[in-house]
Amino acid sequence: MLQAQELTKRYHDVLALDGLNLTVAPGEIFCLLGGNGAGKTTTINLFLNFVAPTSGRALVDAIDVATHPVEAKRHIAYIPETVMLYGSLTGLENISYFTTLALGARQPEERLLEWLVQAGLARDAAFKRVSGYSKGMRQKVGIAIALAKNAKVLLLDEPTSGLDPQAANEFAGLLQQMKNRRVAILMTTHDLFLAKQTGTRVGIMQRGILRSTLSTAEVDSADLERIYLDISGNRRAA
Amino acid sequence: MSDIARLRGVPGANAPSARSVLLTIAGKEALELLRDRRFAWIAALFTLLMLVAMLLGWQQMQRIEAEHAAAHKESYAQWRGQGEKNPHSAAHFGQHAFKPSSPLLFIDPGITPFVGASVWMEAHKQNEFKFRPARDATSLQRFGDLSVAFVLQTLAPLIIILMTFSAFTGERERGTLRQLISIGVRPMPLLGGKTIAVAGILCLLTLPFAMIALVALPFLPDPDIGMDNALQRAILMAAGYATYLTGFCTLSLAVSALAHSSRAALVMLLAFWVANSFIVPRTMVDLARLVSPTPTAVEFQHALSEARKANFGHDDTHPEYLRFREETLKRYGASSVEQLPLDFDGLALREDDERGYRLFDRHFEALWDSYARQEAIRSLAGFIFPLAAMQPVSMGLAGSDIGHHNDFARAAETYRRHIQTVTSEDLIRNRKYGDKDYKAGPELWAAVQAFDYRPPDAGWALRQQGFNLLILSAWTLAATLLAVYATRRLSPV
Repeated sequence: MLQAQELTKRYHDVLALDGLNLTVAPGEIFCLLGGNGAGKTTTINLFLNFVAPTSGRALVDAIDVATHPVEAKRHIAYIPETVMLYGSLTGLENISYFTTLALGARQPEERLLEWLVQAGLARDAAFKRVSGYSKGMRQKVGIAIALAKNAKVLLLDEPTSGLDPQAANEFAGLLQQMKNRRVAILMTTHDLFLAKQTGTRVGIMQRGILRSTLSTAEVDSADLERIYLDISGNRRAA
Repeated sequence: MSDIARLRGVPGANAPSARSVLLTIAGKEALELLRDRRFAWIAALFTLLMLVAMLLGWQQMQRIEAEHAAAHKESYAQWRGQGEKNPHSAAHFGQHAFKPSSPLLFIDPGITPFVGASVWMEAHKQNEFKFRPARDATSLQRFGDLSVAFVLQTLAPLIIILMTFSAFTGERERGTLRQLISIGVRPMPLLGGKTIAVAGILCLLTLPFAMIALVALPFLPDPDIGMDNALQRAILMAAGYATYLTGFCTLSLAVSALAHSSRAALVMLLAFWVANSFIVPRTMVDLARLVSPTPTAVEFQHALSEARKANFGHDDTHPEYLRFREETLKRYGASSVEQLPLDFDGLALREDDERGYRLFDRHFEALWDSYARQEAIRSLAGFIFPLAAMQPVSMGLAGSDIGHHNDFARAAETYRRHIQTVTSEDLIRNRKYGDKDYKAGPELWAAVQAFDYRPPDAGWALRQQGFNLLILSAWTLAATLLAVYATRRLSPV
């Protein structure tokens, strides 16, 4: 569903991503771990066609994102660290706006509400302006948009940063629901616990290179932490 | 079946049509703007200023119209009621010619307060206009009065800037641009949607005033310029303003797409607005004066008086008078003016008038040519600062520009010459030379019809403003192309 083939991105003298090869199958949650500047967000940006690859290809459902961005994006839902919405609009108006643009037709209000509630947002909150939403509530609107799009691919960039434990836990539950729906999920995170808890596989990146890929079923939390620290060169500091 | 599975059947999950995307974006943009409290304040201020400007304009127009109607009738009635007198004394008695009013003057009074609305037509002299609230000024010095034109030319662009400066920078700063592009929205529909939203809101702000004007129009007496002419001009004026404001909208969106931050976009746009509204008009006035200088009113009158000294007027010792007398006697084969078959005094008056016409034509044409050159120089700035092109278009269509002024002045001068000809011809044909008691009666005054000036039609006004309209359109097109270019290279990162 989601495939990177020798995907490379160079910014002037800096090699941000170096020949990434990666496949995320439907119903799989692939967590990209790594320190700042490891190339995680660059990977997400390349799959979203926010930046053009220097070489290699990013494929979504076998569609090259760089050459057919609009077609590829029909299958993608994107949730950044903070889901950015329009503060003066309500949650309902926000989802209505994004889904109308994504789907080409305005959805009935009841259906929109159903998606929001399904994503964990309280019904009455949907009628309140987003400027008063917490980060967790915004993430739920993001998930609701993904549900509405019936996305085959979910790209998450540090989605639980700054969430309180309860909100993070709720978010992990939502990811499991999406996984069960056979959505291919690529998530960047610093949170080893979340990666172990929700991920199917974990990739550890350093300086633009995917150093290691592990199955979460085959490693325990301690091993994962050790390997991560070894690769990222923080062993001594930890 | 899980809730998620139940939600899978999504109606309309096809590629969105361009129309649907545009309208969705426009609707959201408009909703956001309408909910913005700052916008509410701006809209309230705009409405208030428009109302005040319309009321002031209306009041001024009604007053001028009433004065004109009364004075015009009175002036001609006085001419007709002169009783028996020497025809040349009657020519000196003269008449006032009043510039016809136009309902569009309440939108743009143009140069009327500076050049006046009435001319005194008397023997021997082509007079300047009277009743000028601002003497010794030209059209180029006019700016800053509170009129509907000022609100539309100066404040409406500011409102557009305040509505749009963060249109793209705000999306980028908030992160919603990433969100939009991630779901497949392309930049161009974003530009289109935002433009439609701003245009829609501007229509919302201005349409009530257009409606008031349309409702009021049938209650007005048939305007001097004709109702059809006024309507055609109003439509053309609306199109001109639409072009001008569209250009501002696309320029503002272009800057927002190019700028690194909302603050930078606002600073750049405000600087442009200040230059367009206040600095460039003043600078271009000075530059135009430098390139094509015009005399002051005193200098002009002095030059005219000096030139008139070459004509003999009533001075029968003037060398030109003596030369003309010799030529006339020779032409008729007479040895004295008493032997002439026609009245020599009448002939001399006609000759002096004709010499005066050539002199006045030369001086006034030179003055008007100089004004026209100044206007043309100022218009050139419109390629960058569109107010320089919009102002003459607005005044031209309202009938309050230098072109309309000159057209009226020429008609008034033609009428003045007609009075001169009628009275001089009467002397030539009916008076005996030396008859100091000769008098003409009311039938001669009646031979001079009332001054009836029909202002030029909308087509004429449009042709006069062709160059400025071309500049305005070119500027708007350039601003739009810049917006397209800037939007295409819009990046969420």
